[in-house]
Amino acid sequence: MTQTTMRVWRGDESGGAFHNYTVAAEEGEVVLDVIHRVQATQANDLAVRWNCKAGKCGSCSAEVNGLPRLMCMTRMNVFPEGQPITVAPMKTFPIIRDLVTDVSFNYEMAKQVPPFQPKPREADGTHRMMQEDIDRVQEFHKCIECFMCQNVCHVIRDHEENKRHFAGPRMFIRYAELEMHPLDTNDRRSLLREGAGLGYCNITKCCTEVCPEHITITDNAIIPLKERVVDVRYDPIAWLGRKIRRR
Amino acid sequence: MNVHHHSYDAVIVGAGGAGLRAAIEVAGKCHTAVLTKLYPTRSHTGAAQGGMCAALANVEEDSWEWHAFDTVKGSDYLGDQPAIEIMCRDAVDAVLELEHFGLPFNRTPEGRIDQRRFGGHTRNHGEAPVRRACYAADRTGHMILQTLFQQCVARGVTFFNEFQVLDVSLTDGRVTAVVAYELATGDLHVFGCKAALFATGGFGRMFQVSSNAVTLTGDGPGVLYRRGIPLEDMEFFQFHPTGIYKLGILLSEAARGEGGILRSAGGERFMERYAPTVKDLAPRDMVSRAIITEVREGRGLGPAKDYVHLDLTHLPPEQIDEKLPDITDFVRTYMGLEPKTDLIPIQPTAHYAMGGIPTNVDGEVVIDAEGTAVPGLYAAGECACVSVHGANRLGTNSLLDIVVFGRRGGAAMGEFVNATDRSPIPKDAADDTRREIERLFATSVGENVADIRETLQVEMTNNAGVFRTDHSLRQVLSVVGDLRARYAKASIQDTGTTFNYDLTEAIELGYLLDLAEALVVGALARTESRGAHSRDDFPKRDDANWMKHTLARRSDDGRVTLDYKDVESGRYEPMERKY
Repeated sequence: MTQTTMRVWRGDESGGAFHNYTVAAEEGEVVLDVIHRVQATQANDLAVRWNCKAGKCGSCSAEVNGLPRLMCMTRMNVFPEGQPITVAPMKTFPIIRDLVTDVSFNYEMAKQVPPFQPKPREADGTHRMMQEDIDRVQEFHKCIECFMCQNVCHVIRDHEENKRHFAGPRMFIRYAELEMHPLDTNDRRSLLREGAGLGYCNITKCCTEVCPEHITITDNAIIPLKERVVDVRYDPIAWLGRKIRRR
Repeated sequence: MNVHHHSYDAVIVGAGGAGLRAAIEVAGKCHTAVLTKLYPTRSHTGAAQGGMCAALANVEEDSWEWHAFDTVKGSDYLGDQPAIEIMCRDAVDAVLELEHFGLPFNRTPEGRIDQRRFGGHTRNHGEAPVRRACYAADRTGHMILQTLFQQCVARGVTFFNEFQVLDVSLTDGRVTAVVAYELATGDLHVFGCKAALFATGGFGRMFQVSSNAVTLTGDGPGVLYRRGIPLEDMEFFQFHPTGIYKLGILLSEAARGEGGILRSAGGERFMERYAPTVKDLAPRDMVSRAIITEVREGRGLGPAKDYVHLDLTHLPPEQIDEKLPDITDFVRTYMGLEPKTDLIPIQPTAHYAMGGIPTNVDGEVVIDAEGTAVPGLYAAGECACVSVHGANRLGTNSLLDIVVFGRRGGAAMGEFVNATDRSPIPKDAADDTRREIERLFATSVGENVADIRETLQVEMTNNAGVFRTDHSLRQVLSVVGDLRARYAKASIQDTGTTFNYDLTEAIELGYLLDLAEALVVGALARTESRGAHSRDDFPKRDDANWMKHTLARRSDDGRVTLDYKDVESGRYEPMERKY
C-alpha cells in the first residue's frame, strides 16, 4: 500500500478549486477505488457519479491528469508513483457539483436523430442480414454514452455557441449505426449536413483517441457519413440529375 | 424542502429493460412518466453479457417446449409452469421484435440470427446442450437497453432522469401517487397517478462479493414492503459461478459456452465429477456449489486456497477477441492478466434475485395465496417474482423475462389506466419521506452508514451465501437485528441539496437491511435444499413439505411473518435434478 495525493476539483457552477487528499492506494486498484476512499475517509460530501464499476454504464467519466477517462477502468499503476493525480470534471458540460456535470445536452441531441425505420419483414417474420454488415453496426452499438468524445471535441469544448448546431461524435456514431444498418430505410443525410453540423468536424480524431470502447469514430463513422453527404450534395452527376428532374 | 406535484396516468419506476419495454407498450396510449435514479442507458441491463434464449431453431432442432422444460427443471420445480410456458412461447416473438427494432444480433452464414450454448439449456429434455441463446457479441444486454431506449425516444416517452423513488401512496388499496427525490436539487416530487409499474432491478448489494452495480439496492421491493406488500421467495438468490476473485465482477457464462473450462488444484476439470453430461455448462447453482465444495475440500488455489481457475487458454485467440471481447478487457484491467495465456482466478458472486414483488403473468402485484391483485400496482423484471425462475434462474432467461413481462405488464397497465378514473392525490403523500430525510439530516453524530453496510455485506456473503445452515442463518439474523438498531441512529455528514449521495446511500441501506432480513427469515424457515438455497443441514429437496412459494410480510411491530402459496404445476412432474 502506498500513499497517493489525489488533487480533486471541488466546487459548483459558481466556481471551485482543486483540493489535495492524501490516501492509501492498494496494488491493482483503479482511480475510482481511490476516489471512493477519499469520499469515505475525508470528504463525505464529494459528489461523483458511478454505477457498474465495470466500464459498461458510462457514469464515471472525468479528466484524470488532463485526459478524459473512465475512472473505473483506469488502473492507478498507469501513473508515475509519488506524483499527485489530478481529477477534474468534464470541461465541456456545465458543472453541477464537484465531479458531476450536466450531460443533458447529449440527450436533447439524441431526440433530434430520426429513428430507425426498418424495411418490412420477410414472409416468415424474420430478417436476413450478413455478419459483415452486422459487424459494422455492432461497433457503433458498443457506445456506452460516457460522453468523453463529446467532452474532448474542440468544436463544442472551446465554443459553447456551437452546441446548438453540432450533434458531436457520440451522435454521429448514432447516425452512422442507423444509416449503415442493413434494414434501415430512413434518410438522414440532409439533416446531418444542416442540423447536426457534420461539416464542423475537421477530423482531428480526438474522439477516437479517448473512446473507452475503442470505437473508430472518425474513420468508421464520421468520414463515411461525410462521404454520403457529399455524394448527395456535391456529386456533379447527381446535381445535374436534380436540375433536370426539377425542370 | 420543496415539494412539487405532477399528474400522470401511469408512472414507471426504473428504466432498465423491463421499465423501457413497458414504456414502449404504454407510449401514445396514456400520459406516462418514467422515473430513474440514473440515466436510462446506465441501467444494469446494460451489463448483461451472454444472450437471450429463444427456440428459434436457427442452427439446430429446438422447440419452445424444450426451453420450458429446461426452465422448469432449472427452477428446481419451484417455477410456476403456466408463466414459464408463456415466457418460452413468447420468447421467439420477443427476439424477432428486437431484431425489427434494430438490434444487431450476430448472424449465421445464411443471414439468420446466430445462437450459442448456455448453461442448463438442452435439446429434448436434457439429452445434450443446445444452441438457443441469441446474442450480440458479449454485449447482448447493452444492445437491448440501447435499442429499447431509442424506441422510447422515438415514441416521445417522458423521462425524469436522476429522480430516486422513495415512497408510494396506496389509498384504499389503490395506487394514487409515487414520491421521488430529485438528485440535482434535493426537492421532493409527488407524481399523482392511476397506476405504477415498478422495474427497479435487483438488490445484490446486500452481499460483499457481487456482480451488481452500486445502485442495485432493492428500492422498489423495499418501498412496497414497507407499505405492506409481501415479498415472494426472497431466500432464493443466485450466485454466479464466475465472478472475478474478490471483486465479484462478472465473467459471462458465455466464456464457458464458448468452451471455457473450470479447473481446481492440479488443473482438474472438476465439473466432470459433478455434472458428467453437461460438465461446465451445468446450471449456475450447481456450478457455484461445486466451486465452494472444491475450496472446502482443499482443492482451491492461491495463498488462501479460496478460488478456482477459469481456463480460456485453449481457445483460439481470434475466438476470444470476437466472441468475448468485453470480459477479456475486465480481466486485463482488474487482474492485470492476459486471458489468452493466463488462467483467471474466479469465485461465485452474488448475481440475481429470483424472488421479489409477487406478480401474476400480467405484471399485476398479487398479495396473497389467492392471487388478490392491488389495483393499479404492477412490477416487472428482476424486482418482480412471477415466478418464472423459481429456485434458480437459467442464464439468458433474465433478458427474456424483462422483455416478455415488461411488455405484458405495460399492456395490462395501459388497459387498466384507460378504464379507470383518477383518484385525488393524497395531500400528505410526501410527508413520511420528508420526515425520514429530516431525521437523517438532524443526526450529525451517530452510526456510520458505510460501516453498517459493510458489516451487512460481509455477514450475508459468509452466512447466507452459497451454503447455509441453521446456525449460520441465526448468526446473520442476529447481526441484521443489531444493524437495524444501529441504522435507526445513523447519521450523515452532508446536508446539502445537490447530488447528496451521502443521503441517498443512507436511505438505500435501509432497504437493503429490510430485504436482507426477509431473505434470512425465509431461508431459516425453509428446511430443505432447492435450487440456489442450499442447506448443509437439510441437503435434500423436500417436495412433500416445501413445494411452495414463501411470502414474507412485515407486521406492524416490525417483525417478519411468513406465509406460503402453492406452486402452479403443469405438464412436467418434479423429478431429481441431474445434468
